Amino acid sequence: MDISRRDVLKLGVGGLAAGAIRPRPAAAAEFPAKPVTLICPWPPGGSTDVSMRALAEATSKHLGQPVVIENKPGGSGTVGPATMAAAAKPDGYTLSQIPITVFRLPFMIKATWDPMKDFTYIIHTTGYTFGVVVKADAPWKTWKEFLAYAKANPGKVRYATPGAGTTLHITMEQIAHQEGIKWTQVPMKGGAETTPAVLGGHVEATADSTGWGPQVDAGNLRLLVTWGAARTKRWPNVPTLKESGQGIVSNSPFGFAGPKGMDPKVVKVLHDAFRKGIEEPVYLQTLQRLDMEPFYKNTADYTAYAKELAAEAKAQVELLGLAKKS
Amino acid sequence: MELLQQIGTGFAVALQPTNLFYCFVGVFIGTLIGVLPGIGPVGAMSLLFPVTFKATPEAAIIMLAGIYYGAMYGGSTTSILVNIPGEAASVVTCLDGYQMARKGRAGPALGMSAFGSFLGGTASIVGLMLLAPPLSQFAIKFGPAEYFSLMVLGLSILIYLAHGSMAKALITAAFGIVLGLIGLDSINARPRLTFDRLELVDGVGLVPIVMGLFGVAEVLLNVEQALKREVFQTRIRGLLPSARDWVESRWPIVRGSVLGFFLGILPGGGAVISSFLSYALEKRLSKHPERFGHGAIEGVAGPETANNAATGGAFIPLMTLGVPPNVIMALLLGAFMVHGVQPGPLMMKQNPGLFWGVIASMYIGNLMLLVLNLPLIGMWVQVLRVPYRILFPLILLFCLVGVYTVGNTVFDIYVMILFGLVGYLMKKLEYEPAPLVLAFVLGPLLENNLRKAMILSQGSFAIFLTRPISAVCLLVALFLLVSPLVPRLGRKREELAVEEVS
Repeated sequence: MDISRRDVLKLGVGGLAAGAIRPRPAAAAEFPAKPVTLICPWPPGGSTDVSMRALAEATSKHLGQPVVIENKPGGSGTVGPATMAAAAKPDGYTLSQIPITVFRLPFMIKATWDPMKDFTYIIHTTGYTFGVVVKADAPWKTWKEFLAYAKANPGKVRYATPGAGTTLHITMEQIAHQEGIKWTQVPMKGGAETTPAVLGGHVEATADSTGWGPQVDAGNLRLLVTWGAARTKRWPNVPTLKESGQGIVSNSPFGFAGPKGMDPKVVKVLHDAFRKGIEEPVYLQTLQRLDMEPFYKNTADYTAYAKELAAEAKAQVELLGLAKKS
Repeated sequence: MELLQQIGTGFAVALQPTNLFYCFVGVFIGTLIGVLPGIGPVGAMSLLFPVTFKATPEAAIIMLAGIYYGAMYGGSTTSILVNIPGEAASVVTCLDGYQMARKGRAGPALGMSAFGSFLGGTASIVGLMLLAPPLSQFAIKFGPAEYFSLMVLGLSILIYLAHGSMAKALITAAFGIVLGLIGLDSINARPRLTFDRLELVDGVGLVPIVMGLFGVAEVLLNVEQALKREVFQTRIRGLLPSARDWVESRWPIVRGSVLGFFLGILPGGGAVISSFLSYALEKRLSKHPERFGHGAIEGVAGPETANNAATGGAFIPLMTLGVPPNVIMALLLGAFMVHGVQPGPLMMKQNPGLFWGVIASMYIGNLMLLVLNLPLIGMWVQVLRVPYRILFPLILLFCLVGVYTVGNTVFDIYVMILFGLVGYLMKKLEYEPAPLVLAFVLGPLLENNLRKAMILSQGSFAIFLTRPISAVCLLVALFLLVSPLVPRLGRKREELAVEEVS
């Protein structure tokens, strides 16, 4: 039987009309009916962006719809989530990565968002690997020696971070506070400057995520300590802050959230898909290459954790005298 | 000859048919996005980044790198034809390139910028092959004090050579520095001039400002003039540079290559700064500085060579230190990582095929670009024949789309329109926009390095004079700024900076 052009047209128009008429409440049964946009509030190509792209690909398979990454960098990673909280519908089709600055910045500047009210937290996924490096020919062989030197010589040790108010800066000052050390932060513009600063002898140490990795492997820099909950796979001989007596785990963890007021059923669909996504080998391999670690929390735990993070951020900001004047 | 053997390995990789294909795709896309104003290499590379997940690491990096240096080729096209820089690094090309086009010499301007780009690009690849390891060691000697003094010197050269009144140039530069202050202070993260607006927390973007000052302002100015129907009525003379053009451009190309290569190694806006400095240098050395700003081919050849030479230089810190000197290199770093390669001191040993293959592909890519671009000149020149009532709305449309795609925010569009008006007023009142752009780029770097240096020296200014590189830069800058006060030297500057007649 021949299908005439007219029949095909009819079919097409009929299909379109059906699509247009069908009522579209955010019915969880149909979710997701179109691609989900995941905002990455960091520039393309950075470690966060790369890991999110790998996760998006791994998750799409389980969600049945593509997860599309949209980069909206700015405001130390807060412009993306804040724009989403202000403008996106809570229908589950617009989500954002929630960096730790979302909890910290409202205590430092007048922010448009309230991390406790404006988001629906979905799933917590990942943490970074941070560490402190010194030049290979530096006199300090261990983290303990380094701390002892810093304590004995107040103000002598200068350390580079990828920016003031970053987790690196705040944790280093927390350590100083605990150990009674006075040292000087030299805030660099991102990771690209911190490694040359310590290599060129401009500062005594650098605290940053693993941009220093290749130089450590090449024997030009010495890694004194890492900040994760456990030792890293890549440098298993290097102790953590936790076991060195500082009791701090600092990995600037992040997860994903949507705008406030999302349907719990939609949240569950998203959570389950991402949950399967973070177990995909593709994603795990990418994380390992980027020296990031899986850090899973389900919806309820993440929502509770968000409260903790906000309280912690407030205390840190006040400790460092960075709090906004109100 | 170990080096020859390594280069041989590189070409063996780069000449594989798949890699040749990816190289061509990369430079082709690069040329396209370079021509379209606003849509820069960063946008295009991030869009195509996921596509490369499935390719081999060699193919992926070869293609992404091709987009980068291809964009530097294409960026000059719109500068010359319609006075809109396709890239920030092509801002200075507007000054003389556009004047050449108005005199019917768009062909030679485009041709010389293609040849200059080819020669500069090739020279910097040779530099990359021979000098990568020692130069990376030199680059880490540059601490905050050295950077600060280098920036001071750069700004001083620019102001010294600005058209017309030095007071006006200083005012414009000061305005640029203030604009650069907007956002979170880079040392202790306090908001400045943000007026509690979230959009301003990260500062104002370079692209909207440049597109506004040059693109939108140019359209506004021409709408006035178009009524007189006199622009571009001149016959288009010749499509390729003449023998005389070559003689005039020869040394600017050599100097641009060297300047661009070395500045490309340093973090920050290597390509942007080197193009500005090359222009200033050529004007300073020229026997006829009065021709600059009126269609001097040296003013196109030098900067276009320099910004392409900077692309080769920029690879050095990435491939030898694992440190990306700019956003594009950061993107490439991401691409390397996805493919399980760590750029850094060990890369040359661990992945020689990739390291030398990428370098060799850049050599091939540059050749492809020359072949691709020369025949296009004839076509581009025809753009000038498009009636203004069609061309201008198109230009505005490209500016709007371009600015939006960079940051995905409507706010950037408002910024661009505002700076369109600012640029229009500046032209009317005879203020040059170029010092504003450079000050905007250098200002934040200047402040950041000044403050870092002060933290390092525990508050002592002596750090700038006790370090030799820094001291030399500052002395030269001082000489340039004081010279107008000395009558005999002041006259020399006036010869160099003849009042712009518009």
